[in-house]
Amino acid sequence: MVTTETFKRGINKGITTTWELAKVVVPVYIIVTFLSYTPVLKWFAGVCQPFMHYLGLPGEASLALVMGYTLNIYAAIGVMTTLPLTGKEVTIIAIMLLLCHSLPVETAVSKRTGVNGTVMVTIRVLLSILSGVVLNWLI
Amino acid sequence: MDYAAFLKEAASGSLKQVLLMAAIIFPLMLVLEIAKDLNVMDKLSMMLHPLMRLFKISHSGAVPLMAGLIFGISYGAGVIIDAAKSGELDYREMYLINIFLIICHSLFEDTALFVVLGANGVFLIVSRLLLAIIVTLIFSRWKKLIVQNAGMHGAGGVESRHA
Repeated sequence: MVTTETFKRGINKGITTTWELAKVVVPVYIIVTFLSYTPVLKWFAGVCQPFMHYLGLPGEASLALVMGYTLNIYAAIGVMTTLPLTGKEVTIIAIMLLLCHSLPVETAVSKRTGVNGTVMVTIRVLLSILSGVVLNWLI
Repeated sequence: MDYAAFLKEAASGSLKQVLLMAAIIFPLMLVLEIAKDLNVMDKLSMMLHPLMRLFKISHSGAVPLMAGLIFGISYGAGVIIDAAKSGELDYREMYLINIFLIICHSLFEDTALFVVLGANGVFLIVSRLLLAIIVTLIFSRWKKLIVQNAGMHGAGGVESRHA
C-alpha cells in the first residue's frame, strides 16, 4: 500500500543518501579539477604514450584515457573528438573507458559501502588495460 | 595557473555534480519506495535472481544491483548503503555487488555516449555484462579475494562504521 508514509520515507532517504555522497564527491571533484589546471595530467599522459601501441591506439589517445580514468567519460570524449580515430580505435577506447572511469569519485562512492578501494581500482585498471590489449589483437 | 577559473570551475562543477546526483537520487528513492510498497521492484529485480543464485547472494541483493545497472554506481551505492544499514546484505554480498557494479553500471547512459562517436553499442553492453558476470563469479567462489577493510568484520560493515 502506498501512503504518505511512503513519500516521507523516500524523501528522508533522498536527503541522507545525497548527504552521504556529497561528503565524498565535493572534495574529490575539487582536487581533480585542481590537478587538471596543473601540468600533472598532461605529464602523466606523456609518460603513457610509448605504451599506447600495445592497445592499438595513437599516442595522443593516452590523454583521453587519463582524463577518463581521473575525471570522467565526458572529459575523455572531449579529447577523443579532437583526434582522428578509426572505428576500431573508438571501440577499443570505449571498452577501456567503460570498464574504468571517474576513478577517484566512483571509488570514493563505492568505499562508502565499506569495501576496499585499492582492490576496486586495481580490478578496474587491470581489466581496462587487458581488454584493450585483447581487443587490439581480436579486431 | 588561472586561480579564478579554477575556483569557478571547482565551485560550479562540484555544486552541479551534487545537484545532478540529488536530481536523480530523490526521484529514484521515491520511485523505489513506491515500488517497494507496490512490490514492483521485487518483480523487476526478479530477473536478476538467477544471477544472485549463481553468485550465492541473497535475493535482496538484486535490488541494488538493478538500481546500479540502470541508474549508475553512485545511485546503486546509495541503495547498497541503505540495504546494508537495514541489515539486508552482509559484507560478502555487498562486496560482490560492488565488484559487479564497478565493471558494469549505468548501462544505457554511458554506452550511448560512445555510440555517438561510432562504437557498436550492443557489443559494448554485452561484453561489459559478460565480463562483470565472469569476474563476480570468480570473486564469489574464491574467499581469499574478499578483502576485509580494517575494523570491519563480516556482516554489517557499514552499520559498524556509521554507529
